[in-house]
Amino acid sequence: MLRLTLNCINSTNRGCCTAATGKWDLITAVCLERRPIIGPEMSDMEKQFSKQLSEIELERSHKSKHEVEHEKDLKQLELIKRGDVDVEVNLKQTAQDFADTSLEELNKFKFASKQSDDTNVKSLNRKLDRHLVLLTQQKVGNDTFFLPPQGFRQDGETLRQTAERVLKESVGKDVQAQIYGNAPTGFYKYKYPKSVREVDGNSVGAKVFIYFARYANGSPSVSHKWLDREELRKELPEKYSQSLDEFLIDEQ
Amino acid sequence: MNFVSAFGRLSLGQVRGIATTPAKFIQTTPCLFAEPLKRKKRIDPSIVKARDDRKKKKIEKQIRKLEKNSRQMKPIDECEAPIHLFDKDPQYVRPAVKLSEEVLEGRILLEKSWAKYRRDQHLRDLQMLDRIAFSQQHALDELRKESEELYQEAIQVDFTLLPFNAVGPVNTPKIDDYEAPDGDYVDVSRQW
Repeated sequence: MLRLTLNCINSTNRGCCTAATGKWDLITAVCLERRPIIGPEMSDMEKQFSKQLSEIELERSHKSKHEVEHEKDLKQLELIKRGDVDVEVNLKQTAQDFADTSLEELNKFKFASKQSDDTNVKSLNRKLDRHLVLLTQQKVGNDTFFLPPQGFRQDGETLRQTAERVLKESVGKDVQAQIYGNAPTGFYKYKYPKSVREVDGNSVGAKVFIYFARYANGSPSVSHKWLDREELRKELPEKYSQSLDEFLIDEQ
Repeated sequence: MNFVSAFGRLSLGQVRGIATTPAKFIQTTPCLFAEPLKRKKRIDPSIVKARDDRKKKKIEKQIRKLEKNSRQMKPIDECEAPIHLFDKDPQYVRPAVKLSEEVLEGRILLEKSWAKYRRDQHLRDLQMLDRIAFSQQHALDELRKESEELYQEAIQVDFTLLPFNAVGPVNTPKIDDYEAPDGDYVDVSRQW
């Protein structure tokens, strides 16, 4: 009985709330993020500790075949120097020679640079060790902003379907991405300016449900920016950036 | 009718069949070129028995060999420690290093600060996960306020996430248009 009454109160409460605040537009946004391509640089502590671990590992290890071979070679050399053994024997490749050729081969190989000098915000080749979030140019009211791709929900769509449609429409079909889950991961709410709000039948504002998506490949066909966390904070309106920060993972 | 009888005179009277029917008294008989059968060679039954025994023994030996090997697995070289490690071959033993008191102390201190570092990291991770879960819950709560139906749709399990796979991150970025040099292929696997 008590629960029933409580339910009644709850439902009436909800009803009155909606009446007071009015109608809200439902918007779905997609936060498309590219994972870092390379791992981050080790911190000082990590470097120190990994050095210590490899030292301990070396102390506790047995000698490798290569080391034993190398020692044998040295002994042989000693004997040759003293003149006990013929020089002809020394024709085979010594362990040192093998190490030298291997080292030479390694030095010849050039690894790709970890630092990318690409400064074009449209490019994915920049900030290889950072998460990058996609913003596209959009018109809100009379101004244009760089925002995560977003769009209004249409009748009959679930929010997830809206998210998929929005992503395709605003980024282009070229881009492959995986939306994570049916539930939105972030939320942002804003009110329309007074002049818009006061027109009869208009909504009070918009509720933006942000879905998280992982970038796979392809390049967007519209005006866009790939930004890391700090640039994101500068580019987006403060409140919006805060709600993004709520669900994006931290970077050291 | 005249017509037929006129031609009928040209033929040999009746229409002749070519079947080898008894009516023409032609009979065909099969050829008989076979020679009389040879007499079977008689072998000493003891020799036959010995021969069979030999065959049997050979097969039994093979079976025994297979059974013996079935218990014995093929060794996987990569997974087995080299024999010299079991033999405690003194050649391979690394001389023990005598570390000074300070180095040992320093190592212990570093280990302690490492533990603290990892603990802080872990706590930060937990907080972060909490924050993300809270953010999602907040979004869902707001959605429920707008529409119960959409909320129910949103809390369904997303089956498109499975199977999940992810690539990277790696230590250095890939080299564009890199062609791996051809190496020599030496097959060193043993026959078993």
